[in-house]
Amino acid sequence: MTSSPLNFEIHPSSGMPIYRQIMEQVRMLVASGKLTAGDYLPSVRQMAGELDINMMTVSKAYARLEAEGIVERDRGLGMRVTNNVPQESAADRKIELREHVEVMVTRAKQLGLTDDQIQAVVKSVLKEWPS
Amino acid sequence: MNECVIDAKNVHKRFGKTKVLNGVDLCVPRGAVVGLLGTNGSGKSTLIKCLLGLLSCDAGDVLTLGEDPWDFTAEAKERLGYGPQEAKLYPWMKSAQIVDYTAAFYPNWDDAWAKELMTRWDVETDKRAGTLSVGQLQKLSLVLALGHRPDLLVLDEPVASLDPKARREFLRSLVEITDDEQHTVLFSTHITSDIERIATHVAFLQDGVISFFGGLDELKEQVKRLRITAKKDLPPTFTVPGALRTEINGRTALVAIPTISDPLLDSLRQEWQADVTVEDLNLEEIFLELHDA
Repeated sequence: MTSSPLNFEIHPSSGMPIYRQIMEQVRMLVASGKLTAGDYLPSVRQMAGELDINMMTVSKAYARLEAEGIVERDRGLGMRVTNNVPQESAADRKIELREHVEVMVTRAKQLGLTDDQIQAVVKSVLKEWPS
Repeated sequence: MNECVIDAKNVHKRFGKTKVLNGVDLCVPRGAVVGLLGTNGSGKSTLIKCLLGLLSCDAGDVLTLGEDPWDFTAEAKERLGYGPQEAKLYPWMKSAQIVDYTAAFYPNWDDAWAKELMTRWDVETDKRAGTLSVGQLQKLSLVLALGHRPDLLVLDEPVASLDPKARREFLRSLVEITDDEQHTVLFSTHITSDIERIATHVAFLQDGVISFFGGLDELKEQVKRLRITAKKDLPPTFTVPGALRTEINGRTALVAIPTISDPLLDSLRQEWQADVTVEDLNLEEIFLELHDA
């Protein structure tokens, strides 16, 4: 299977460099099992074209992921997810999510929302996702 | 990437008593897409003109495409594309005629490509230049700059008068041109989000010098804002070495620093028994932090 660039969401005006956003999202797709060993990442050209970003940025992300052993270069075919990345346990994935939630909760508290109100917002966002 | 397509050393330029460039050093490596950032009046256009031989610099050395821009050969001009901030075109010529007229100067003009760009960007081909809107005029002048697929493309505020759709189309075309990592682009702008999408490098022009030049990713990874919350009130003299800007409010301080490092964080935590969180900054925020200092 080849993943589509549509699986990726890039925020150019974020403080996090774009190549790191791509790396992080690949890691998450692998950690969640949405990408498994043998799956291919979108080609550099396809990814850069769809997301309107520089090809060098995509190449950089892929090269680093390759160095980390998450993907390997399959000549002529692209970047393939390796089989040496175990799917992370739910516990580990929760730890990873925690960082993001902490930021969100801080913001929510600054907005003066109660715990119930915060949970209501999270639930309504979750509803928008196909389960 | 080590070879400088543009190599400026210690460039000075003044107009009357006003010093605009005060020792600019800049090396633009081959294949780079460089965003040149600076406040209004910081001298971006002056610098660009000095790099292209449209202005003579008072002192310093410039080599562009390996030549002194004041005495560019025809070969160098063929490899160079320039999009000025304000295009000066014959007002009585129709867009398509202006393109043909310009094409005649270039043996390497790519007619199919120029036509494709005009379609893609919705350039009105049968209107006279004098009747075109500012945005239309800018798009036309970009076609003229890009039509011969120049090795080096220099654009002065290329997107200032373009609407968001045209801007995105233009950026997309720029990305295509730089696909092969052989074509080099230098463009000035004050719209930082455009730079963030496509630039590999950024250059800040500030007080007549390049105050920063480097990879955009590296810049974002190094420049950070620290939110420091100490056990007790911080003294008004509180400071972090190298800080770009410090804001103290009771126990809390916000400090922008040019280079993040673990030893720095550790020492702050120890010395002030403080909770230190690191905040990412986007290019606009970095620009403001650098210019507020």
